[in-house]
Amino acid sequence: MSSSPPPSSAAASPSCPKKMIALRSSDGETFEIEEAAALQSKTLENMIDEDCAGTPIPLPNVTGKILAKVVEFCSKHAEPGVDDESLRAWDAEFVNVEQATVFDYILAANFLEIPTLLNLTCNVVADMIRGKTPDEIRKFFNIKSIFSPEEEEEVRRENHWAFE
Amino acid sequence: MLRFRTLLAGPSRKRKKNPKTRRRTRAARSDAVPGKQCDDADVLRQPHQLETFPPEEEEEEDGELGFRLKRSARSAHGVQPLGNLFLSPNAANSRNAGLGTLQSLTDELVLEILGLLSGTHLGILATVSKSFYVFCNHEPLWRNLVLEALGGDFLFNGSWKSTYVAGCHPSFDVGSVGESGLEVRDFYSDYVFQSWLCANLEMKPEWLERDNIVRKRGISVEEFVRSFEEPNKPVLLEGCMDGWSALEKWNREYLVKTCTGVRFSVGPVEMRLEDYLRYSDQTREERPLYLFDPKFGEKVPVLGSDYEVPIYFREDLFSVLGNERPDYRWIIIGPSGSGSSFHIDPNSTSAWNAVITGSKKWVLFPPDVVPPGVHPSPDGAEVACPVSIIEWFMNFYGATKSWEKKPVECICKAGEVIFVPSGWWHMVINLEESIAITQNYVSSRNLLSVLDFLKKPNASTLVSGTRDRVNLHNKFKNAIEAKFPGKIGQLMLKAEEKAALQKKPSFWDSVTDSKAGAFKFSF
Repeated sequence: MSSSPPPSSAAASPSCPKKMIALRSSDGETFEIEEAAALQSKTLENMIDEDCAGTPIPLPNVTGKILAKVVEFCSKHAEPGVDDESLRAWDAEFVNVEQATVFDYILAANFLEIPTLLNLTCNVVADMIRGKTPDEIRKFFNIKSIFSPEEEEEVRRENHWAFE
Repeated sequence: MLRFRTLLAGPSRKRKKNPKTRRRTRAARSDAVPGKQCDDADVLRQPHQLETFPPEEEEEEDGELGFRLKRSARSAHGVQPLGNLFLSPNAANSRNAGLGTLQSLTDELVLEILGLLSGTHLGILATVSKSFYVFCNHEPLWRNLVLEALGGDFLFNGSWKSTYVAGCHPSFDVGSVGESGLEVRDFYSDYVFQSWLCANLEMKPEWLERDNIVRKRGISVEEFVRSFEEPNKPVLLEGCMDGWSALEKWNREYLVKTCTGVRFSVGPVEMRLEDYLRYSDQTREERPLYLFDPKFGEKVPVLGSDYEVPIYFREDLFSVLGNERPDYRWIIIGPSGSGSSFHIDPNSTSAWNAVITGSKKWVLFPPDVVPPGVHPSPDGAEVACPVSIIEWFMNFYGATKSWEKKPVECICKAGEVIFVPSGWWHMVINLEESIAITQNYVSSRNLLSVLDFLKKPNASTLVSGTRDRVNLHNKFKNAIEAKFPGKIGQLMLKAEEKAALQKKPSFWDSVTDSKAGAFKFSF
């Protein structure tokens, strides 16, 4: 009997293609992702465990535009042999996008339970807040401040210590 | 969606399975900032917020809410649940205008981002809009900041935010400002409202009505083993603490004096007892910090001699491991509302819990019945529970009324000991400030299941409080063989015999058994 390579989801050889999972976005686009990459999402991991991963998995909360990027992120983070520094640089570039897109990433990462992406994107927003004055924050996030002058005074007094 | 009258399940979070498992201590903290002078007399007086059951008449019932709020309930800044939005005319949620482009994020996500900010940045952000004011005053954010910055060296100052400012910005006179009474109109948020509600709610009387545990007084050890330990059933034992000097001696004054300078485990940090009591007097939280120390006997030996193990629990097989034994005894001190959400005790041990002062509400489910709202992971390492004990009662307790297999419930009062059999789910909430001692143990009745548990591949992560987790199974087994040669073999024989007796009848047995039905061979 000829010996055949044992089935393995970890290592791939030309004769043993990696298992692919199909995802469908809210607007009907289909994407393929390697199982190893999909496992970064706890939501997808649970579905794979429970063997629901046969047909394309519908993701009604994520548009095609965002899902494409999420797949890209997970695939990159599942790539073997990438050193920490390169990965961090890649991540920085990945989130170098406009505000609204970062928020979309956050919502997708939350829905799909991808801790690395959630952590990365939340930190981006925290960075947007740090170091700005209240007015700058309002401008940046297009916030209508509806404090009355008295309220503003009171709130400012309560938090006066933060401005020293 | 929440409305004032009906409340839906809140967000659930994965939590470590058991409060008795070793906690990772928080990362390095900055140098302790000397806080305000602590008036010792304040700490030694009995807290004026002491809630006793049955509730006293002065407590007001909020008829509209249908729940009773604690007398010292904090302001919610006018936050309302989301359901109210649809009941008010010209409704508009000020939440969104005040968040700007961030409004597309959920409340939890906003708070997750805010959790990454320093105290200073959070304080600045609070002045940006009414929305951010409400979010930035979310107490759990400030609790994390205090514990990170000060560890256990904080002097609680009414709220976590105030404690942070007093501790980290001592030159700023927090007292002169107090908490802003800012009322925010038209701010609707289920998450924020639920969080406030759970922190300020009293236990409803109907949650405390059922008391169906078996109570025994003065039974022999043999009867206890036969009726409860062997069949693995819980029981509440009365009168077995009668000799304890702790019952007379342990009040605040004695404990503070005896434990001067000693630090006890409180959640992720270690605190001096008087600092902890100062905090527990004032706190109004969903999940108050709980003093739960596994080394109290070593830290303060006289405490260990103020009590003795009740006669039923004297067999203590883990003792063969000497200093290498897992944590086995804890002193537990906590305010009203503190407690432990559903879990199974580690290592497949059994436990007893003795209340010295105060009272505890217990809810127990047998090993094969997962409590509603609880989601253990397949390997049992993690248990996802509702956020707080109060929330569990609000959202899941009612379901148990219609179940055939009702949980075992009781209120355990001072002088009473509850036996928690191995593998049983249990949850505890302190109805008033309580001091208790609990011990976990291995006896001949659960030795085999403990050994089985320790053999499991993930036992090293689940085993509580040992230094050398990996080899515990072999060490324990060898130590038992050395001290009690043949015991394991005997117990296994007995178990096999018992299993044989309970075996299903063979096919031939069933055809000759008239009870099995009408089938009969006929040739």
